[in-house]
Amino acid sequence: MTVTRSSGPKVNWTILGVGLLVVGSLVAILGSGFGNDPHAIPDTRTGTVALPWRMVDLDGKSWSLEELKGRPVVLNFWSTWCGPCKYEHPLLLQAAKATPDVVFLGVIYSDDPQAVRRYLQKAGTAYPHLVDDNGRVAIDYGVTGVPETYFIDKSGTIAHKEAGPVNPQLLREMLDRIRR
Amino acid sequence: MISLLGRSLVLAALAFATVGCVGGYVAGSRRNRTAWIWARNSAYGFSASMLAANLLMMYALVVKDFSVSYVAEVGSQATPTYIAIISLWSSLTGSILFWGGVLGGYTALTVWSLGEKYKEYSPWALHVLLGIAIFFSMLVGGIANPFAPTDPTEFPMAFLPIPDGRGPNPLLQNHWLMAVHPPTLYLGYVGMSVPYSLICAALLAGRLEAGWMDPVRRWMLVPWGFLSVGIVLGGWWSYAVLGWGGAWAWDPVENASFHPWLTGTAFLHSAMVLQRRGKMRDWTLVLGMATFLLTLLGTFMTRSGVFNSVHSFTQSEIGPVFLVFIGVILVYSVVLLAFRSHLLEEESQRSETELGSRASGAPTGAARLFSREFAMLVQNMLFAAFTFTVLLGTLFPLITEAFQERRVSVGAPYFDKWALPIGLGIVFMMGVGPALPWGRTTPESAGRRVLPAVGVGAAFATWSYLMGFDKPGTVLALFMIGFALWGNLYELIEPVWQRMSQRKENVLTATTKVVTRARRRFGGHVAHYGVLFAVFSLALSKGYRYEEDFTLAEGQMASFAGFEVTYAGSELVKQPQRESLIANFDVTREGSSVGRFGPRMNYYPSQREPIVTPDVLSRPSYDLYFSLIEVAKGDGKTVVVRLIHQPYQMWLWWSAPIVALGTLIALWPQRERERAAAAAAVAADAVGASK
Repeated sequence: MTVTRSSGPKVNWTILGVGLLVVGSLVAILGSGFGNDPHAIPDTRTGTVALPWRMVDLDGKSWSLEELKGRPVVLNFWSTWCGPCKYEHPLLLQAAKATPDVVFLGVIYSDDPQAVRRYLQKAGTAYPHLVDDNGRVAIDYGVTGVPETYFIDKSGTIAHKEAGPVNPQLLREMLDRIRR
Repeated sequence: MISLLGRSLVLAALAFATVGCVGGYVAGSRRNRTAWIWARNSAYGFSASMLAANLLMMYALVVKDFSVSYVAEVGSQATPTYIAIISLWSSLTGSILFWGGVLGGYTALTVWSLGEKYKEYSPWALHVLLGIAIFFSMLVGGIANPFAPTDPTEFPMAFLPIPDGRGPNPLLQNHWLMAVHPPTLYLGYVGMSVPYSLICAALLAGRLEAGWMDPVRRWMLVPWGFLSVGIVLGGWWSYAVLGWGGAWAWDPVENASFHPWLTGTAFLHSAMVLQRRGKMRDWTLVLGMATFLLTLLGTFMTRSGVFNSVHSFTQSEIGPVFLVFIGVILVYSVVLLAFRSHLLEEESQRSETELGSRASGAPTGAARLFSREFAMLVQNMLFAAFTFTVLLGTLFPLITEAFQERRVSVGAPYFDKWALPIGLGIVFMMGVGPALPWGRTTPESAGRRVLPAVGVGAAFATWSYLMGFDKPGTVLALFMIGFALWGNLYELIEPVWQRMSQRKENVLTATTKVVTRARRRFGGHVAHYGVLFAVFSLALSKGYRYEEDFTLAEGQMASFAGFEVTYAGSELVKQPQRESLIANFDVTREGSSVGRFGPRMNYYPSQREPIVTPDVLSRPSYDLYFSLIEVAKGDGKTVVVRLIHQPYQMWLWWSAPIVALGTLIALWPQRERERAAAAAAVAADAVGASK
């Protein structure tokens, strides 16, 4: 078969023009999606002042958010029948020990305080666990399941709500944020 | 240690790719033998380094070396070994490393297969292929570095009593198909960079011989086969894991794998027209380039976090970098075509003249319409329309967001509405094409060939109607399937029958000889059978599916689709990485036992919601699907189960091995004697032999 050789630069301006127009439009459309994460489900309470509450811990001591004002707070809703809660428990325990300036509080969700005591004896604890009578605080905070963790900064504003177990990276990032 | 070694291997791969890319350019532009040897050896060096980096990461995952950041991200002490291995592609940075490894494998095979045969093109092909490799090496060595060390003094490790991680996504641990589906798709996606490089090589070399299309077509066929099988396996995984009883949901990332499949299929057909008739040259090359670009778009969809999909990762800095790469490749392709398109025109005119001079008069007017190449042109237009329609629907949320600041998705009804007519048009052309000869024929001759196919189509439509599959769309689909099936079967039956009657050979000998002497052609027909299996399944399973939810206490029975389903209680199975509650159902039909089925709910420590695993009674003519919806709190004595009955689902899974077989037949190397016979057949077609 004979061979055709290039005989000098010839440009097909139609291909170049139309092609670059299509390329430009496509890249612009794809690029416009950055910054809007379609996976993110916005929580309406994030960025608002955390609703006040008063609860009693397993030792009978009374706690209220009002009294904790000026300190960063981690509010973790959990229960003993929830596997992921047990999964994140050692991590929260370690984090609470490593950051004594942050108030870690567990909120017992739809569970028997006796079962919680038995579990904590076995798994250990480093912070108080509050009894949420009839789940009123959970309702106020819009808890949809456990575990759910609220990170509240020093001004009392909810910095982030994590639905599902926390992971080390997230915990680190959030603690850094609410301790500022 | 592993971090350092892994990063070194990736950087070595980057160095090899850079040297090879430059070497390929010098060898191509200056015909420099030394530069070619450097380029070739560097390509092997890149492959070896990338494959070694992948093996090293697998080792780190297996030994749970949490000092490597990727292992800390996707590994856990409780993860079983085989899941640890497949975790390589379970997260963002690991999957890009895996991409690099697959590219390494393809690069080595490309260099080996081209050998010294195509000296004009091979250096340019390596120049482009290793240019792509530079980007992926930079990505893996830079912002997507999975070998980054985990700082032991930093937060996660400092807080954990023993080093541990979250483990891979539970959805990836639920079915063996996760070990097969992603690598198969990767082999399809990454492999498209080879035909792209070969096409660019032709344009860069300024030579566009018809002979060069042979390796281009073969290298398109390899990833196309993997992509076809990967798409079906993905559907099977969705069916077997997600619990909704479906295989395809027009999810953006599913669509992303479908786009290059459509253009790749169109390319394989137009390449035949190009090789046999010297026509559709520029269109064919554009299709080949577009196929690779669409695989990049698909990769972007998964890795940018811009699209909402079950498959996609969250947004990271990799997205913008990938978009820049897509932009560069797009501009490069357009510029290459714009500056070299005059070569395509010159070559096209010359080839047409050459082939035309061998023909006994070029077909004119209506005669052109009754030719295989015209059928393929129509079919190509349908593929292009299908690609555009699906692409538009997939990008629609981004387009609306760009103009209206809110996302509007078109959803499955849009895709279904367009997929049905275009898809059926393609199936129809699948039957018309093989029935027509190359060149031209008379309307009467075409009619004689098509008429039996119409008869078989009518028989299929009648069967469909009588079996109760009587919606007009289904009846029409079955007609098209029968029509196309006969068109493709006849291509095998006719020559086999001729051999049997003229040479007195038995069926087996005649079939073997016919198939082995025209492997490419019959491979194509076999692949068509596979596609028809898939269309048959989709036409019947989707339209005639019915489902019902039952709340059953232990010992309670439900009647569904002619089956008696009794809940026999539940059991809890504990594994290191999860706990599974299995609900057992005893199934009988007209008093005879069919078996026990156990859909389950799997509880993973890192997941708040349980992951369901359905169980399926699969028969050729129907599937009975069990999906556990809810287990009553406490002892699991009451469950809610969804039962789904859908006809001919299994045929969709069968399509994958049939398409793979067809691809393998078409790819199988021919002996010189057989090649000469095939070339003679092509020459006979070229003179417009009409029957």
